[in-house]
Amino acid sequence: MTAQTRQAKLSNQNGASSMRQSRRARLVIYITLILAVVAALAPVYWMLTISLKSEVDQFASPPRWLLFSPTLAHYAEAFVSRSFGQYLATSATVAVLSTICSVTLGTFAAYGLARFRMPAKLNRRLSLWILSTRMFPPIVSAVPLFMMMRDLRLLNTMAALVIVYTAFNLPFVVWMMRGFFQELPRELEEAAMVDGDSRLGALFRIILPLVVPGLAATAVFCLIMSWNEFLLALVLTQTDAAMTLPVGIAGRVTQYEIKWGVMSAAGVVAMLPILIFAMAVQRYLVRGLSLGAVKG
Amino acid sequence: MSAQPSPTSQKKPTRWRWREPSLAYVLIAPTVAVLLALSVYPLIYAVKVAFQSGTGESTHWTLEHFTRLLSDGFFLAALGHTLLYAAAALTFEFLLGLGLALLVDRPLRGRGLFRALLLVPMMLPPVVVGVVWRLMLNPDFGAINGTLRSVGFNTDMLTWTASPKLAMLSVIAVDVWQWTPFIFLVLLAGLQAMPQEPYEAARLDGSSAWQTFRYITLPLLKPAMLIALLLRTMDLLRVFDQIFILTEGGPGFATETVSLYIYRAAFRFFDFGYAAAMSFVLLIITNLISAGYIRLLQRQEAA
Amino acid sequence: MKVKFDNVTKRFGNRAVVDRLSLAIDEGEFVVLLGPSGCGKTTTLRMLAGLEDVTAGDILIGDVRVNEVPPQHRDIAMVFQSYALYPHMTVAENIAYPLRVRKITKDEIRRRVRRVAEMLEIQSYLSNRPRELSGGERQRVALARAIVREPRVYLMDEPLSNLDARLRVQMRGELKRLQHDLGTTTVYVTHDQAEAMTLAHRVAVLSSGQLQQFDTPMNIYHRPANRFVAEFVGTPGMNFIEGRVDHRTGTFSGRGVVLSLNDPQLQRLKGRERATLGIRSEHVQVAAAERDGWLRAVVYVTELMGNETLCFLQLGDEKIIARASADFRAEMETSVWTRLDMDKADFFDAESGEALR
Repeated sequence: MTAQTRQAKLSNQNGASSMRQSRRARLVIYITLILAVVAALAPVYWMLTISLKSEVDQFASPPRWLLFSPTLAHYAEAFVSRSFGQYLATSATVAVLSTICSVTLGTFAAYGLARFRMPAKLNRRLSLWILSTRMFPPIVSAVPLFMMMRDLRLLNTMAALVIVYTAFNLPFVVWMMRGFFQELPRELEEAAMVDGDSRLGALFRIILPLVVPGLAATAVFCLIMSWNEFLLALVLTQTDAAMTLPVGIAGRVTQYEIKWGVMSAAGVVAMLPILIFAMAVQRYLVRGLSLGAVKG
Repeated sequence: MSAQPSPTSQKKPTRWRWREPSLAYVLIAPTVAVLLALSVYPLIYAVKVAFQSGTGESTHWTLEHFTRLLSDGFFLAALGHTLLYAAAALTFEFLLGLGLALLVDRPLRGRGLFRALLLVPMMLPPVVVGVVWRLMLNPDFGAINGTLRSVGFNTDMLTWTASPKLAMLSVIAVDVWQWTPFIFLVLLAGLQAMPQEPYEAARLDGSSAWQTFRYITLPLLKPAMLIALLLRTMDLLRVFDQIFILTEGGPGFATETVSLYIYRAAFRFFDFGYAAAMSFVLLIITNLISAGYIRLLQRQEAA
Repeated sequence: MKVKFDNVTKRFGNRAVVDRLSLAIDEGEFVVLLGPSGCGKTTTLRMLAGLEDVTAGDILIGDVRVNEVPPQHRDIAMVFQSYALYPHMTVAENIAYPLRVRKITKDEIRRRVRRVAEMLEIQSYLSNRPRELSGGERQRVALARAIVREPRVYLMDEPLSNLDARLRVQMRGELKRLQHDLGTTTVYVTHDQAEAMTLAHRVAVLSSGQLQQFDTPMNIYHRPANRFVAEFVGTPGMNFIEGRVDHRTGTFSGRGVVLSLNDPQLQRLKGRERATLGIRSEHVQVAAAERDGWLRAVVYVTELMGNETLCFLQLGDEKIIARASADFRAEMETSVWTRLDMDKADFFDAESGEALR
């Protein structure tokens, strides 16, 4: 292809016909995306409406998507007369406590792995092992954990959940924070040491302030994972004393008479904090979900 | 400028050996301890239980749990359901996710908003997803059947989660709904991290859209695809939460996956030994598959 | 404070990155470690800082052996190649940091930061963050942070290499002035021989972990200890002609060129058949017209530098560079006449490269 024809081909692509084509293409793309968003949000919206509809409206046919008179009765019932308020408090407490523990322990471990010159093989083996504990199907540890907690008389306690969730989130914290630490140049700590600071002093004064965004995102991920967790909570807590919100909801669903309004109200409350948090850490979402493999 | 040694150098004796690795071990030890106690110990415990039988005086080592697996119809069915579920969900999620990512990967107005909104399904607690779709799929007042009816379809046969034939389809659909955004996000990130030059070179060379996609985009996207597929596969093989809420493994046992069967064996029949044995098989299968992916990934990175 | 390296060796696995280095640096001296990438100069500096362990040998600051002493307690300050400024702190906080960790009072800190800022003329951006500053400004901040502590030794790891050419020349002068005013022992690492020549009291030339020569810049330039030093120092590099010595005729023959040797030179080359001749380009003259006793050469290319003209010549089969005056012109492939000032020539052993004096 001579230079001239290549030139001609390029200039053709800038012709008027291609402008029309791209505008049409853009329209198609926008429509597809809007459809996708509708598909993603409609079911959630439906649950929201059920939580706000009176029983009559709930069973209406054809389904009333927009026109109905809202009521807060279901919310009142869920959180005041039934125990969902307690479940909510339990979920929040367990999530916060386990996050604090796992982030603290995990960040220190991550710093050790990221910075210190250990024999390289040991470092890699350790990292992989920590990662592999994340790969377990939870059911594999659920049975032994149940038996462990039973022997320790910790069944149906919040303590059991905090401990288990801390262990559950640790590998993730280590993996994420290690990545963030590795992004900082080693010279920062070296400068701090030459300037006279101790190794730990440099960690607190120099390094940690620089990873605060990553640290916050990791903490939010832990909160989300603890809040959403279902299987281990199901196995370890059967009484109201330490029941988390997901288990509370599930328990009601599998009963005979299902009060959908109450269920939906509980569902809405269960998902709201998560959505807010998730939007806050959107920037780190891909990184968190892919365990740092893809930097989003 | 004085030549006196500064106070600090006289404070510490020069005998103090500064060994870097020891501080590292102190930092790592608590984490390792917790993981040993709560991840490794349960595993060992599970080994013990899986290879033993009998109670109290009559406990003995045995392989009977494992041999039982081979002839257990429920287990084989559960295995089949799990593999079918994983394969089907993965395929749809991948195709949809890739398509969406390719669409969104261009300067669009409101792209950030689209991304944020498309995230919602996968951030929901699985329990909530279960509730949402039980509402949607309810044959009588659910939105799906309601809408179908209002345009004239007869929905008598469409009992979704209560129908032996449609239940599996329903749970797969729910998974696709929830997790396509994940694949979408990861692939989008992969696309946006790709270098510009190959594309410009391809345009100058006169490559068509399809050719560009096939010879440039796809190969460069491979690492992100493998990661997304790996993580999704691991999650699909051990699925529990949303199926538990949607169908509890039913109707009958039509949607019982391996995780659900293990749960049933352990907490309905209290057959811990059997449950532990099954857990191991699941663990081995999961490890084998993930090892395969990881090897693919490493070969990719070496290239 | 004096600094001494006593047979210092550093090994990574089996590889000796620094090999039995011995240097004695005097109080207040500005010593430059010069060499190509990988020669071990940065590793040497880091061992002095305490950021690398010493495999064998001793490092002494003052007369105290500091091998086991951690960096915090060596009372040294370091300027890193990338400056290593703390991104989340303002300039003032960056400078104050070394004082803060030593628990010096707030008033004293403020006083010292102010003084150093004036010295380096950075008062106007004391409350900015590093990312808002240009390369040159960041470099001054790094310097300020090093100076504020009044340490015993300054260590600098290629601090000018990230600056553009003009700024580099300007900062060179300022650094020299600064060190003179402060009078503190300074060890400076660079691969840029111009920096070494202009800044140092003495230069230590390193290659592959071994010390080649430790001497004043003038001596390094005019009396290089071996071929490596001669080649590394000076721009353009020294011309080398490898050839045979004929004691009978008193000549030195390269490929296609024969030069006559004087008696002292023949004495130096006694007993040798082969040697390498080295002559700097400023000692190679070139003229357009034939002159008596001059040799004919062919022009390969000329570079008009503005203040002089560099001529790349083919003499016989040898390639040499000559410096000519700014108005000298010659077309490529034309013949010119050249003369090598043999009085200024150096000779090196054909194998080892050692200078023959």
